[in-house]
Amino acid sequence: MNTGRASGPSLRERSEAEASRLPPLLAKAEHLAGTVLMGEHGRRRAGMGDDFWQYRPVQIGDSKRLIDHRRSARGDMQYVREREWQIAQSVMLWVDQGASMRFASQASLPSKIDRARLLALAIAILLVRGGERVGLTGTSLPPRRGNTQILRLADAFAHDTPDEYAPPEHRAMTPHSRALFLSDFLGNLDEVKLALTKAADRGVRGVLLQVLDPEEEQFSYRGRTIFESVGGGLAHETLKARDLRDKYLDRLAKRRDELTQLTRATGWQLGLHHTGDSAQSALLWLYRALDGGVR
Amino acid sequence: MTVLAGIGFTTPWLLLGLLGLPILWLLLRAIPPAPKREVFPGVTLLLGLQDDETVSDRTPWWLLLLRLLAVAAIIVGLAGPVLNPSGDKGGDGPLLIVLDATWAGATRWKARMGLMDAQLAKAGHNGRAVAVLRLSVPGNLVFQSADVWRGRLAGLEPEAWQPSGEQINSVLAALEAVEGDFDSFWHGDGLEYDRREELLTALEARGDVTVFQGVGAVLGLTPAFIADGAIELRAVRSVAGPAREVTILAQGRDPAGIARVLASVPARFKAGEVQATTTLSLPAELRARITGFEIQGQKSAGALSLADDGLRRREVAMIAGRDDREGLELLSPLHYLNQALVPSADLLEGAIPDLIPANPDVIVLADVANLSGTEETALIEWVETGGMLLRFAGPRMAASDLSRADEHPLMPVRLRAGGRSVGGAMSWGEPKELAPFTEGSPFYGLSVPDDVRVTSQVVAQPDPTLANRVIAALSDGTPLVTRKSLGLGQIVLFHVTANAEWSNLPLSGLFVEMLERLAVSSSAKPPAAADLEGTTWRPLEVLNGFGDLIDGATLPGVAGPDLAEAPAGPDLRPGIYDSGDRVLARNVLGIDARLVSANWPAGTSVQGLSVAREVLLGGWLLGLALALLTLDVVASLALTGRLGTRRVANVLTGVIVCGLAVMGTERVQAQQDTRHAVAATSELVLAHVLTGNQQVDDIARAGLQGLSDTLFFRTSIEPSTPMGVDLERDELAFFPMLYWPITPDQPVPSAEAYARLNTYLRSGGLILFDTRDSHIASFGTASPNGRMLQKLAASLDIPSLEPLPNDHVLTRTFYLLQDFPGRHNSRDVWVEAAPPDAEQAEGMPFRNLNDGVTPVVIGGNDWAGAWATDRDGRPLLPVGRGFAGERQREIAYRFGVNLVMHVLTGNYKSDQVHVPALLDRLGQ
Repeated sequence: MNTGRASGPSLRERSEAEASRLPPLLAKAEHLAGTVLMGEHGRRRAGMGDDFWQYRPVQIGDSKRLIDHRRSARGDMQYVREREWQIAQSVMLWVDQGASMRFASQASLPSKIDRARLLALAIAILLVRGGERVGLTGTSLPPRRGNTQILRLADAFAHDTPDEYAPPEHRAMTPHSRALFLSDFLGNLDEVKLALTKAADRGVRGVLLQVLDPEEEQFSYRGRTIFESVGGGLAHETLKARDLRDKYLDRLAKRRDELTQLTRATGWQLGLHHTGDSAQSALLWLYRALDGGVR
Repeated sequence: MTVLAGIGFTTPWLLLGLLGLPILWLLLRAIPPAPKREVFPGVTLLLGLQDDETVSDRTPWWLLLLRLLAVAAIIVGLAGPVLNPSGDKGGDGPLLIVLDATWAGATRWKARMGLMDAQLAKAGHNGRAVAVLRLSVPGNLVFQSADVWRGRLAGLEPEAWQPSGEQINSVLAALEAVEGDFDSFWHGDGLEYDRREELLTALEARGDVTVFQGVGAVLGLTPAFIADGAIELRAVRSVAGPAREVTILAQGRDPAGIARVLASVPARFKAGEVQATTTLSLPAELRARITGFEIQGQKSAGALSLADDGLRRREVAMIAGRDDREGLELLSPLHYLNQALVPSADLLEGAIPDLIPANPDVIVLADVANLSGTEETALIEWVETGGMLLRFAGPRMAASDLSRADEHPLMPVRLRAGGRSVGGAMSWGEPKELAPFTEGSPFYGLSVPDDVRVTSQVVAQPDPTLANRVIAALSDGTPLVTRKSLGLGQIVLFHVTANAEWSNLPLSGLFVEMLERLAVSSSAKPPAAADLEGTTWRPLEVLNGFGDLIDGATLPGVAGPDLAEAPAGPDLRPGIYDSGDRVLARNVLGIDARLVSANWPAGTSVQGLSVAREVLLGGWLLGLALALLTLDVVASLALTGRLGTRRVANVLTGVIVCGLAVMGTERVQAQQDTRHAVAATSELVLAHVLTGNQQVDDIARAGLQGLSDTLFFRTSIEPSTPMGVDLERDELAFFPMLYWPITPDQPVPSAEAYARLNTYLRSGGLILFDTRDSHIASFGTASPNGRMLQKLAASLDIPSLEPLPNDHVLTRTFYLLQDFPGRHNSRDVWVEAAPPDAEQAEGMPFRNLNDGVTPVVIGGNDWAGAWATDRDGRPLLPVGRGFAGERQREIAYRFGVNLVMHVLTGNYKSDQVHVPALLDRLGQ
């Protein structure tokens, strides 16, 4: 309430509006990540049972709570338990925030951008709990560790970009880190190619996850129709939409082939996720795809 | 009105519009469907694709047909079609509607009112003035517009009697008072009554008379009586038709006092007979509970027979003082009483201590002088609760000192020693006869036979109260029967014996009648006028024509002979009457009543009750058009491929919501409370007290929401959405914990609210008081919030407090905590103090503290502020600066988790105190 008063109502209102655009992403992502932790990967999480490193005598400046009483009680000295210092990997995320992602064919389905953000945040939570550093590609949010980074990521995901089809952000990628790109990859493929080759040059390996709406795979439109892009910039009119189905699906398959070729050439992995499917299966796939290289 | 093929049209010219339909066909056929716009991100892949065909679809013929049908239905509907158009004009001039309005028409009253409504509607349509006359309750003739009468139809009710000569007289007078001619509709109920022809003649003299009378017999039930131990029931009908079976239901109350059908018995009318008799045999207990009999399926006062004392057999306990003289039955003091009471009462014999628990209505003590102390106490107690003690004198009583110097509580008068004998061999004078009963005596009206003589009696001492207590006397004025009341009951003393030793009174019919008047027995048949001479009866409940009982307390009393024999009318309504202890039912039909159906002279127009109503078809046709157009919308959407399940669902939802909104508005309010309770109890709900400060309430709610989410995610506690609680209105028992933020301006709860809060605290609830100001004021210093807290908590039942000790169970119910921060981090958190004798066990980290949950936790750390999240799960208020305070927020959440765990599990975690003892016992 103090901030609200200090920064004036307009900022408060705007941030409320921003926040309303994002569904309860953070809580959902935590929940989603929680379901994975219950399973096979639960024991890899850093926490209370962290790897033991050594006992060392108490020094000036140590909090009394850090004293390991079980060890100290054996003698007159007081000891502090130290934990293993682990070298963390950096994972860079890029989520397509373009207009084309703001699409859901039915009200019961989440939009592609919601699903992509959810997956990105959930994987970020998993990675942070695993001790990795997570950030965004580009200069806005460099990789860091800790729960605070999750909050910053959630904040960053709350902003859309006005572009119709956003090109992948490939600047400032840490060398030899890992990357995760989430998009529908319906825009210009040359940009993707540029980003991937640049990443490969820097030794960055990673995962492309294509997030599509089920309607984009089925194309069940009929009758006289004008198709428009989400931003309204592109339009195509047809008298019999059903006749276009096969040609469209052809082109879609061709585009996926191109992506497969590209990832194969650069050493990345390509995944496909439909917003109609469960987010958990996609998260598991992502976690394994990234996990394989991390440890 | 033009009639085409049996259907009339009010505006037939509109039908010409049907000619325009072919033009519409051509127009619709020429217009192709419009394109639809779809948002589709994959449009990049579509750019440049060409259509194979360029011809668009035309509107299909069946869709055109659908639309034309809809338009045709609208045109025909607007033309005003009417099914069954009534041909007759319905006459003109004033109209008199005469109703018998008796119980005989009550069963079919609804149909009759429907017919009358139609007649009034037609009369109103034709502009006729109408008067309505009920023969059972005649009034003046007032000709008014038919609409006025239609509004009063619901108030017309049948009465429970037939029109008598008195009422016919006033009807004829009312007819005389009206000038001019009028037509009449006579709604007859189908039963004959006196002077009906006379009335018909009078009406026919003024205009046409049409009679409306239902077909079928009128059914009635005569009063039930007991013969040979079974209830005799007789049903009668007005027309001797074919064989028919009716079911007679015995209505009564079950032991819980709820009205229900106690028994049912069929009665069969043989073909050509007008009465059906049947018998019903019931246990005395069940029979005593019967309130009336009715014919199943009939709703009229005549088909109902109310039960009274005649069905209720009294329990009389008889105790004689002289039971040593075996074999002399005619000399037994109880013999004549037995004979008098056996037909109408259930007799009990035995000892007083055994009889009183059976709670008889009457206890007869025949020549009993000495009672033991406990018997006497029990008897007095029994009389005071409404029992009736009937004593007879005799040699023992005369010889004893009973009620000699002082009046005995169980005797109405003091007695002189020895009694007296008159007319014996050793005495002068003649045996005495009875004096006529005086007014005010319960026996008033009974005729005294000449041959009753009294030879011996016990004599009352002349006391100031004696005159009031005498209810029967001998011709020389000495009391024969005296009575006094004791508590709710009464004590009656016959100054003679119950057998024929002292008088021949027990041999006379007068004796039985006197017992009846004293409500010792009740006669099996409805009493005759002579039996009720001199009594006045008070109406308890009276019947209306439908057979419903209504309160009769406002009606005047009725003389006994009238009640028995006078015809029912406004002054003598059928119903339940009482006089003293006796209850009598006056039924619509007498015990030997017959129902005679009304015969109308030849030439009178008699019609049935059924009516062919005009049906306006316009609304149905317009509705059909609407349905067709809706169908057209769906079909058009389907044709253009825009029909998704979602859209149809939306349309349907819209329609249904509109419908429900009309129907269900009233019920919403009633359901709200229940719904609130169900929502609060079906899942665990955290609650906060509404302070009236919108901002604080919102934060409290958001805080509890954040805490609920945290609990849901981390623990097995899965709370539902938190609720605000209005202390004045809402039930508190549903919530395990209340969060109470303190604002300086919140209202102080009322006394009732405090009572409920204290109950809540005593029954294990917990209130978390939060002054939210520990950053500016430490606990106990006089901040505005602190002062408000003191004011609020003054009336609460709060135990002594102490700062939260380090070994309190709150520090370890889920997380191990030593700090309890909210947005502020102050250590001033107070809980119920540990008992002074709490000691730390050897080798244990914490003391063995009190059981149970601390009823209050008081602090000022603004916990809700730290817990509060928005809908996205992001914290609403900052803790510390930037992200630096997230650790403190995390500890605040942990405190919340610990607190809720503490509320729900109590001191479970303190049980670890006993671990050493348990291990010791296990031998480890």
